[in-house]
Amino acid sequence: MNKAIEIVDLSVKFPSRGGFVEALSHINFSVETGQVCAFLGPNGAGKTTTIHVLLGFLAATEGMAKIFGEDVRKSIARQRIGYLAEHPDTYRFLTGREALSITGRLFGMTGRTLQSNVNAILAMLDMTSAANRKISTYSRGMMQRICLGQSLINNPDLIILDEPTGGLDPIGRMNIRKIIGRLRDEGKTIFFSSHELSEAETVCDHLVIISSGNIVVSGAINKLIKPGENLEKYFMKTIQTAAIHD
Amino acid sequence: MTKGLIIAVTVWLKVIRKKDVYVLLILLSALLSWLTTMNIFGLGGTTRYVSDTGLLLAWFLAWILAVNVSARELPEEENRGTIFSLLAKPITRAELIIGKWLGAWTVVCTANAVFYLAIWAIVAVKSGYIDPSAMIQGFVLHCFALAIITAIGIAFSTRMNFDAAATISFVFTGASLLLLPRIPEFAVKEKGLRAVVMSLIYHGLPHFDILDMRQRIVHDYGPVDVSTMAALVIYAMLLTVFFLVIAWLAYRKKLFSRSELM
Repeated sequence: MNKAIEIVDLSVKFPSRGGFVEALSHINFSVETGQVCAFLGPNGAGKTTTIHVLLGFLAATEGMAKIFGEDVRKSIARQRIGYLAEHPDTYRFLTGREALSITGRLFGMTGRTLQSNVNAILAMLDMTSAANRKISTYSRGMMQRICLGQSLINNPDLIILDEPTGGLDPIGRMNIRKIIGRLRDEGKTIFFSSHELSEAETVCDHLVIISSGNIVVSGAINKLIKPGENLEKYFMKTIQTAAIHD
Repeated sequence: MTKGLIIAVTVWLKVIRKKDVYVLLILLSALLSWLTTMNIFGLGGTTRYVSDTGLLLAWFLAWILAVNVSARELPEEENRGTIFSLLAKPITRAELIIGKWLGAWTVVCTANAVFYLAIWAIVAVKSGYIDPSAMIQGFVLHCFALAIITAIGIAFSTRMNFDAAATISFVFTGASLLLLPRIPEFAVKEKGLRAVVMSLIYHGLPHFDILDMRQRIVHDYGPVDVSTMAALVIYAMLLTVFFLVIAWLAYRKKLFSRSELM
């Protein structure tokens, strides 16, 4: 299997009063192609920092990160990625169709390919009827779906989702979960952070848990969680153990 | 470059879709028409007075618009959090800066063209005459001055919020527009360090005054020769590139905090 994500000895330090704060401390993990990997951890553990390094928003202090073998600092590494940010937003003065179309153009798509991709994404998101409305008129859930659509327009091999269901009502969460399930069935590699453990358990096959900037667990979910145990129990136990060791 | 053009198109779409720009343009055009038709000291019928007042207003209004449009773009992306999904695409920060600048500059130049057309129309209605070649040269050089102003607005906005970037851009470009041409008058009376500082300011800040053809248009001195025009255009282009490079240097490793979204 090829590695979609490879993180080796990665550290990130932020300058602070009189020194540095270590947000990530020599972390190592990888995600194989075709895996659906949940990236879990308490608030402030380093999940978004890791994702921001993968997307090139943040530079690593030490170590390296690669996506499909390309250094994440090169913009070409982002050609095969789809990314949905935490609290996503987009240009509200555009219609849903225009937002997808402009995003497609940033990936070099034009003409019929672009149009057919836009139409396919709108259909998958169940947004065809609202496609020509301005995004400023959309509900929070519709906005989240169109932002997810923007992250899928280039038919990415790796999809990175940062709290994809955060701030959504149960129906909105169910819609996003369905879309993730569909992407998993298509064989896409998905790497997502979430606080919704029951939700993560239903879709992921791989697990990485981070606490205080250190990776405490990484592996296949069916090997880590014993029969009779669920992800929530396992997560709490792991985090408490990590806190004692700290 | 194509990605820069796509970013520029989004700047245009925002300006077109957000109605406040139309309101501003209508208000400014009404103000322009009203001021140029006022009869101060009985000069209302003189077309030189009309074109002088009109061109002064065009410079003033285009300056305000240039700073407002350019200093707004990057901070707005960061405040709304759209910067994250944008930079997650295969687009470099240099392309983003060029796209934002190109969008802001072309928007302001279009508004500027409306102002110049309005002035030309008012003068024509008053049976006056403006040398068209001097007017076109004046417009072109004014647009290149706006290229520098928008690049300055973008450069300051890479590290500041909109309010701070707009204020500093107004102070910086305002000082260059209004005070710089007067410095030689003061400098001849100064000696030592003060004279050196004045000389540094005079040579360091952008000289918008040499791109200002208002007096040539108003007093009908005719167009400047081709070599002078080329030198002025090259000067403006070099300064624009200089400020865009400054913007890129300030932006290329900028960290974005999630707290900005909360």
